[in-house]
Amino acid sequence: MRERLEELLKDARAEIEKSGVKDSLLTVKSKYLGRKGALQGFFKDLGSLAADERKRAGELINTVKNSLESEIETRLSAIHAAEMARRLKTEKLDVTLPGRSRPLGSIHPVTQTLYEVEEIFTSLGFGIAEGPEVEVDYYNFEALNIPRDHPARDMQDTFYINKEVLLRTHTSPVQIRVMEEQPPPLRIIAPGTVYRRDSDVTHTPMFHQVEGFMVDTNITFSNLKGVLTHFLHSLFGENIEVRFRPSFFPFTEPSAEVDIRCVICKGKSSACRVCKGSGWLEVLGSGMIHPEVFRSVKYDPEKVSGFAFGIGIERIAMLKYGIDDIRLFFENDVRFLAQY
Amino acid sequence: MLFSYNWLEEFVDDLGDVRELADRLTITGTEIEGVEDLSGGISGIVTAEVLTVEPHPNADKLSLCDVKTAETELKIVCGAKNMRPGDKVVLAVHGARLPGGFKIKRSKIRGVESNGMMCSEVELGIAKESAGIMILPQDTPVGLDALDVLGLKDFVLDAGITPNRPDLLSMRGLAREVATVTGKTLTFKAASVEESGANIDELITVSIDDNTPCARYSVRVIEGVRVGPTPDYIVRRLETNGLRSVNNVVDITNYVLLELGQPLHAFDLDRIKGAKIVVRNANAGETIKTIDNVERNLAESICVIADESSPVAVAGVMGGKSSEVGEATTRVLLESAYFEPTSVRRASKKLSLSSDSSYRFERGVDIETVTVALDRAAALILEIAGGGAAKGRVDIYPEKFEAKPILFRPVRAESLLGIPVDPKEVGLTFTSLGMRVTGKKESGNTVLEVVPPSYRRDILIEEDLLEEAARLFGYDNIPTTLPVAGIMPGGVSPMLGIKKRITELLSGAGLAETLNYTFVSKDEFAVTGSEGAPAIEIMNPLSEELSVMRRSLMPSLLECLRRNIQVNNTDVALFEVAPVFTSNAGAQEQECEDPTDRLPTQQWKVAGVLYGARHALTWNQPKEAVDFYDIKGIVERVLKGVGVKAPMRLGPVGESDARFFHPGKSASMKLGASSAGLFGEVHPDIQSRYGLSKPAYVFELDIETLSDLSTGKRKYRPLARYPGSARDVAIIVDSTVPYADILSLIDKIDTKLIDNVDLFDVYCGSEIPEGKRSVALRINYRSLEGTLKQAEVESVHSKIQGELTSRFGAEIRGQGS
Repeated sequence: MRERLEELLKDARAEIEKSGVKDSLLTVKSKYLGRKGALQGFFKDLGSLAADERKRAGELINTVKNSLESEIETRLSAIHAAEMARRLKTEKLDVTLPGRSRPLGSIHPVTQTLYEVEEIFTSLGFGIAEGPEVEVDYYNFEALNIPRDHPARDMQDTFYINKEVLLRTHTSPVQIRVMEEQPPPLRIIAPGTVYRRDSDVTHTPMFHQVEGFMVDTNITFSNLKGVLTHFLHSLFGENIEVRFRPSFFPFTEPSAEVDIRCVICKGKSSACRVCKGSGWLEVLGSGMIHPEVFRSVKYDPEKVSGFAFGIGIERIAMLKYGIDDIRLFFENDVRFLAQY
Repeated sequence: MLFSYNWLEEFVDDLGDVRELADRLTITGTEIEGVEDLSGGISGIVTAEVLTVEPHPNADKLSLCDVKTAETELKIVCGAKNMRPGDKVVLAVHGARLPGGFKIKRSKIRGVESNGMMCSEVELGIAKESAGIMILPQDTPVGLDALDVLGLKDFVLDAGITPNRPDLLSMRGLAREVATVTGKTLTFKAASVEESGANIDELITVSIDDNTPCARYSVRVIEGVRVGPTPDYIVRRLETNGLRSVNNVVDITNYVLLELGQPLHAFDLDRIKGAKIVVRNANAGETIKTIDNVERNLAESICVIADESSPVAVAGVMGGKSSEVGEATTRVLLESAYFEPTSVRRASKKLSLSSDSSYRFERGVDIETVTVALDRAAALILEIAGGGAAKGRVDIYPEKFEAKPILFRPVRAESLLGIPVDPKEVGLTFTSLGMRVTGKKESGNTVLEVVPPSYRRDILIEEDLLEEAARLFGYDNIPTTLPVAGIMPGGVSPMLGIKKRITELLSGAGLAETLNYTFVSKDEFAVTGSEGAPAIEIMNPLSEELSVMRRSLMPSLLECLRRNIQVNNTDVALFEVAPVFTSNAGAQEQECEDPTDRLPTQQWKVAGVLYGARHALTWNQPKEAVDFYDIKGIVERVLKGVGVKAPMRLGPVGESDARFFHPGKSASMKLGASSAGLFGEVHPDIQSRYGLSKPAYVFELDIETLSDLSTGKRKYRPLARYPGSARDVAIIVDSTVPYADILSLIDKIDTKLIDNVDLFDVYCGSEIPEGKRSVALRINYRSLEGTLKQAEVESVHSKIQGELTSRFGAEIRGQGS
């Protein structure tokens, strides 16, 4: 029996070796190991053997079986690997061809900048308020301590619909509208479109602004500096140098204009076109809310204090994206829009 | 305003480095927007005298000159022809530099050595054109630094003076500020006038009417003046500030205006009728021809300076032509006055006329400088134009100006600035600003009583003093701290949220966001909406193109499209989120209690446009043109994206919109009961109006309506656990049967088992009779309760087929014929 088994093993091995594809190997497997396979015959013959010999013979057959099984398995995976390798070799794409495109839209850089500014202030607990773009003179000027026949009106050349109604020149009227409706404490920003009668490389008759203000019983100029410095650091990076310098706005006192270090020349070029050699870029106006403004909304300036600020969004977007002509924002050339 | 560094230095010694000075001024609140070096990088130019002019031996067009400088005589080759022996010229010697870094070198020109260059005004950068080289006045000494002679060794500071600081609108004013912020000393000596001849009262009578805005009026008379040209240094200083030289007398009034900030006017006394000046308000119907040669109608509210019979000047704004000082003038009446800011501003606005005078008066001049400036100008006239000043001056000043004392509480300053404020130090700061300060105790705290000087009328309340204290303390020295504040509910309103959501949805759908001007031309306004509806017009538009508020975003997007096509952007998908405006006509007419009731209605809209190919040209997708169903798909995407559940009902666009939309390829959309917008293909007329070769598809939706209908909440629906079953049905129906009707019929049949319906083919053409179309649907059946039984599905499906046949006369394809 041993000889016959060895004979069988030898034959089987030869056939395994010969089998180049999965199917023929499976045939070999069934021929030797199947239910009607050759080894099964040996097991059947076991019954005719004596007990002690049966045990030995059984072990021998099992050894042959296990060995065949494992050799077939090994051969099988070799064949699979070879087949897979062959298949993968033929299935080859030019991965450098462009992908199937989905139309890619864009959000206008001014809108994106607005979102960014809004996010910084909402993260500080500021709410967002809106107001009408066509506004009455009272909210746009008088309540903000800019009386009629005051030269400060020249600072904001205005489009009028009629004597009383105008296109708002800033979003500051929202400050008045909110304060008329709500008592302090308040911290609000008012983003929106504003209009001034101006048109050149750095001015468009329509642009965007975020006005913001904070009113409470204990707000100081030092707080104004703190909040606006935080804002500019969030927007332009922690390392940007910020400078506050005195200025004049009728609705704040003391007033401050806020400059950042020129993002182009870093204050190192006297020939820099962006900062005109000054090394600084004006980015926002601010100040402590004027007592007359508080009085116009019936707040007591002896009891509350607050600061307000206004940010020109186009200006910020121009600096962030390195855009040198403000009119590009309103030309809506898709080659420009697609960059954002 | 522009300030000459040299001129400032006449008032403050040793100004130091000009850029440091500019920085110091900027950081203390006088923004210096630019510093110009007038020398423009020029060096090595000297005054010289031309000795001889000979032709160049080798060139017809050139001359060879001997030119004398202080030390030597030099041979100079020159291309100009205008110099004669004895002329004084500007010579750039070997090694000199001219504007733009141009360097002068000794060199051979056509075989003859030239040792420099005689310069023209253009070459020196001081004029745009010049005929030949610059010839200096005959009395110019030879061998001087020509930069000095030409007044080019100077810097010009461009200062942005804010409306609250009219006191800085002069050399002395800025010098005073410079002295304060640098700690240097201001030197100013009032001029004294050498008087001779008659008493002024014998030459002129002056009176001020009641109810005129004139708080002070002073005059001097100078007789025997010789009107003529003005010394160079004055002309140059005037020109720097954009003032043209007229004659010596007029120029002196302007010079003193720049120097001291006080506007002055010189009249020809011989042309003042009756030798009488009356400051009064204009009479009805009066006119005046101002010195700019314009005849102007005067309203009764305008204050004038009149002689016996008629106005000779508009007070504070401009003088009259009839009495202006000209070559024939010998007797000058010099005026210096104070007019109330508001009245000058109103007059200036009413006449649409502004001047350097009105600019200063409307901001406020220093009433105490009125006679100082008068005397300074009189002294200069005597010096430059000769003549003799009459004895005395008229000075009508009924109520001497007294600034009101202001209480300054250091404790309050501390609580507003967030820094300690020392009463003594802050008092010194105020003193350095020319204020009178008295300290006293009030409930245990030191308070200061501060009286500002007459030139600081902007200082009225405690906060004004606070700003002065803070700016001189230095904003940089105030620490930055974040406020301590309570948590407040708030956040983002639903409208803001939905606008952002829509923006994200549309950009995600491949559209680019645009921003367009809210004002459009009247033509563009008329493109949409009903004809003849009132437009909201801007009284003072920049141009007709930007003159009315838009009532729709769609024309702006078509305009964007047109411009993009012009620059060869052929496939365009754009959108905009913005408000539109409609006139609140009824309220405009009435006298409203609350002015805000007169405001137009503002409605937020979103609009989009699609044009050209759906995709950019690419290798793996067919280049297909966008069509109606692309724009509808965008609209559906927005509705779904913002969570609108109300059913969409479509009808034809209204009559007025049918001018803008193709009536057969557009729809007006209702969501539930609310009109929510329009979409479709633009009318062929509109298409050609915007020069479009292909149809454009647009939509416009009302955001407030979407916001109202947006449920916000999304409720979980259980997922089906049991397998579904799909059956297809293809029908041939009249093309006029709307798909929506077919769908709603199926939906109504058995809502429990029909999960949804997919439309997978719509076809007309061969095999389909004329006027009909084939519609193929896949009906997905599913039950939430158990596995579907074949018989259940068959029953519903055949019911559907039956209903389609009976309701629409549909022929079921694949059955029967």
